Amino acid sequence: MKTKRSSYVFVTVCLAALLIVSMLVAGCTSNGTTNSVPATASAAATAAPTAAPATATATATQTTSAAASSGQTLTLTGSTTVLPIAQAVADAYMQAHPDANIQVSGGGSGVGIQAIINQKVDIGMSSADVSAAQKAQDSNMNIITIAHDGIAIIVNPANTVQDISLDQVKGIYNGSVTSWSSLSGAGVPNSNNQIVLVGRDSSSGTRTYFDQVVMQNTNDSLSMHEDNSNGAVLQEVAQTPNAIGYISIGYLDNTVKALPIVTTNGHVIVPSVATVKDKTYPIHRDLYMITNGKPTGLANDYINFLLSPAGQQIVVAQGYVALNS
Amino acid sequence: MVSRMKEKFVRSVFFLTAFFAVIVVAFILLFLFRDGYSIFETVGVLNFLFGTIWAPAQVVPSYGISALIIGTLLVTFGAMVFAVPLSIGCAIYISELATPRVKSILKPATELLAGIPSVVYGFFGMIVLSTFIRITFNIPSGQTWLAGSILLGIMALPTIISVSEDAISSVPREYREGSLATGATRWQTISRVIVPAALSGIAAAIILGIGRAIGETMAVIMVTGNTAIIPNPVWNVLSSVRTLTGTLGIETGDVAVGSEHYHALFGVAVVLLLITLIINLSAVAILSHLRDGRGAGRAKRSWLHIPAFSPIKDKLLPYSRIVLLALIALMLLATGLWEVALIIILAAAVWHYGGDRISRRHIEIFAFGCVIAATVAVLAILAIILGYIIINGLPAISWDFLTQGPTDLGRSGGIFPAIIGTLYLVAGAILIALPLGVGAAVYLVEYTREGRITKLIRTGVDLLNGTPSIVFGLFGFAFLVLFLDIGVCLLAGMITLALMVLPTVIRTTEESLKNIPQSLREGSLALGATQWQTIKNVVIPPAIPGIVTGAILSIGRAAGETAPIMFVAVVFSTRFLPTSLFQPVMALPYHLFILSTNVPGSSTNKYGTALVLLMLVVAFYSVAILIRNHYARKARG
Repeated sequence: MKTKRSSYVFVTVCLAALLIVSMLVAGCTSNGTTNSVPATASAAATAAPTAAPATATATATQTTSAAASSGQTLTLTGSTTVLPIAQAVADAYMQAHPDANIQVSGGGSGVGIQAIINQKVDIGMSSADVSAAQKAQDSNMNIITIAHDGIAIIVNPANTVQDISLDQVKGIYNGSVTSWSSLSGAGVPNSNNQIVLVGRDSSSGTRTYFDQVVMQNTNDSLSMHEDNSNGAVLQEVAQTPNAIGYISIGYLDNTVKALPIVTTNGHVIVPSVATVKDKTYPIHRDLYMITNGKPTGLANDYINFLLSPAGQQIVVAQGYVALNS
Repeated sequence: MVSRMKEKFVRSVFFLTAFFAVIVVAFILLFLFRDGYSIFETVGVLNFLFGTIWAPAQVVPSYGISALIIGTLLVTFGAMVFAVPLSIGCAIYISELATPRVKSILKPATELLAGIPSVVYGFFGMIVLSTFIRITFNIPSGQTWLAGSILLGIMALPTIISVSEDAISSVPREYREGSLATGATRWQTISRVIVPAALSGIAAAIILGIGRAIGETMAVIMVTGNTAIIPNPVWNVLSSVRTLTGTLGIETGDVAVGSEHYHALFGVAVVLLLITLIINLSAVAILSHLRDGRGAGRAKRSWLHIPAFSPIKDKLLPYSRIVLLALIALMLLATGLWEVALIIILAAAVWHYGGDRISRRHIEIFAFGCVIAATVAVLAILAIILGYIIINGLPAISWDFLTQGPTDLGRSGGIFPAIIGTLYLVAGAILIALPLGVGAAVYLVEYTREGRITKLIRTGVDLLNGTPSIVFGLFGFAFLVLFLDIGVCLLAGMITLALMVLPTVIRTTEESLKNIPQSLREGSLALGATQWQTIKNVVIPPAIPGIVTGAILSIGRAAGETAPIMFVAVVFSTRFLPTSLFQPVMALPYHLFILSTNVPGSSTNKYGTALVLLMLVVAFYSVAILIRNHYARKARG
């Protein structure tokens, strides 16, 4: 009997330890939110001039935030190309409005459009045009262009290639060119020069657009690695010396080399905000947000903020091209 | 009269909880077939199964899954080639050679390996293993079949080790003593007597390990390259491949509901489910055969005895070893490791022709060396993975990281909502699974004799246990999110995770109920207590530690899973904690998956998230192991 009792003590102690740990974590909850509200408010005050009264409202919203968050929730789903814009705009908007809760998810353009048709989210994001068939499923669909974008062809910095033509890209992606040595000036030192193809998964808007414009609706090689986001393609190309990939220009950073495109009339055009803006860069497109009917409430405020000069500045800061400028 | 009514009522409640597992299996099958059926109709079953091109995005989409099936089988086979020698060596060491003290460290260590979440393995594989393979073999890309196999092999290690260690330990002592008394060395005793006697158990362990490897999703997505091709030549382990689970993991979240592609994915899920069902049922059959055989001298009967095949089998058996060796040698040749292949072939030749001339003592030393090397390798793997994540993750951990919401897509800010989201998910899952699971176990142990219905229920539980986690995710998506229309939310995640851990709860509860001596029950009944009173007051209280252990193990498993919740419960980022069950949440494993695959430039937070997730799950497992060991000691002393 005695041993039995000590066993109970032991289990109780173990459970109590777990409980204490979770209490500690939960303790951080209250601390965390009370700490964070003034922090975000002051950040907002310095960052956005529109949020000047934020410090004053911060203490007031502190008490209302829990109640208001359930009423003021906005959901966005879809293209990973649009995602960084949506998230950055959401961050800025939420700093100015501490009671708003904006939830952003990826998935891909197909998911974004489908979610609007099924009325699952407030705003769908897409980097591909909405097809006629998709429009037919939802007559209320309201498509808003929010930014311009270019798709950059990227390689690993180790590759000596300087520029590339769209025909060469097509040859590489349909599998007829398999070695960097068959491109003049291209090559990866200390390797067998075999090209590693990296592309996007089958429901990506970026892939749809790439297949239309670059591949001209011919088939991609089956040996292409399929990644399910811009970030994953970037990371694989950065990690793999022989790789080639394509991503939105908003994702470009110094871990990869973005290749200038040689056009049919011999111009060499660097993928950049400027060349996408004047439409000289050949692989450019629009980015969309989609709602069911005219947006209302928080969705409307959010989109208006995105389309305002302050919102378009965020678009530029994220590496994309602002509208009508 | 009233009390009899009550007894009947209680009994039927328990029956319902037990039958729940069967209902769930039926529902999973029903919903997968319902959504997958149309692809079999439009494409045709044969074209679907044997078509070699999976290209839903092509101008003319093509849905042939043979490349995916072959990819799945190849990756699993490779994983077993890697895992089986290591884990059997390790099991032999733990059960036959280790001192009790070493054993008491080794066993929990291998069990911790089971606790590491698959997305953490994937993360490690993506960053460390695939780069290592690319550089070592000087190939263009390290995202290969080999990387997938090694990773899945590591993940299957704990399953195979613990089940085969049980099998080896349960070989009767007389076998050992008899063999040693005839003058055999310890190694001869192990290799000629003990391992053959434990062979069925080891076979079951391997099959369970295969089931684990086939059903794995996240780790596979992150390291295999996901190219839907059949390797050329087929033993080329440096080719990248794509598995059935990987296809589901990548494409399901992105597909337009109701499209042909969507139905094709459910078709893939049906095929995957059928493959795992076959594998798990055969493991169950072997294990139950083992249990039956134990009573009546079981040494002779082979575990898969089909009379017509036995002459063929007898003829083939001597060659099987050569065939296996040849296959492995071919694979090594393909990787360019021809030196290793040569050594293996030479060693095999020496063994075959000169084996008798080497002294028994040298053989024993060599064999024990191999066994110890296997054990050290397993420990080294554990140390490397844990060390890598701890060293890189510690700098990220700060008070703000643990208590703030994410900003800039998780590149900066903290992971607080993800930690809480995960805790909510597992708390809900265990609240649902615990009553159902305990009820089912009580019904199976206390209320029935073995019969047709219990057999059906047990089969249901076994099938549920073997169902890949991604299939639960698909089911949750098709049934909860779309059919019941509750949307992507916390509740859907809780239910999906609850279904997934239900078999673990049932199994562990059953075990601890069975360990309660029959005399206690009889004593209680003899004093005039009703059956329900007996169960409530006599049987359940001493079983509680076992039940708690099972619950904690389930919590650990649920906390680390990504695949089941990625379509049903989670969002990239949200600022506040959910205020109702119908809101989506953030979760640690999904956040790690997103950070490591979708968000470039998030390195510190990525490692920090991996570390927090690892610590959380390991904490749950350690508590479970502590409780169990404490009781095992109590039971013995």
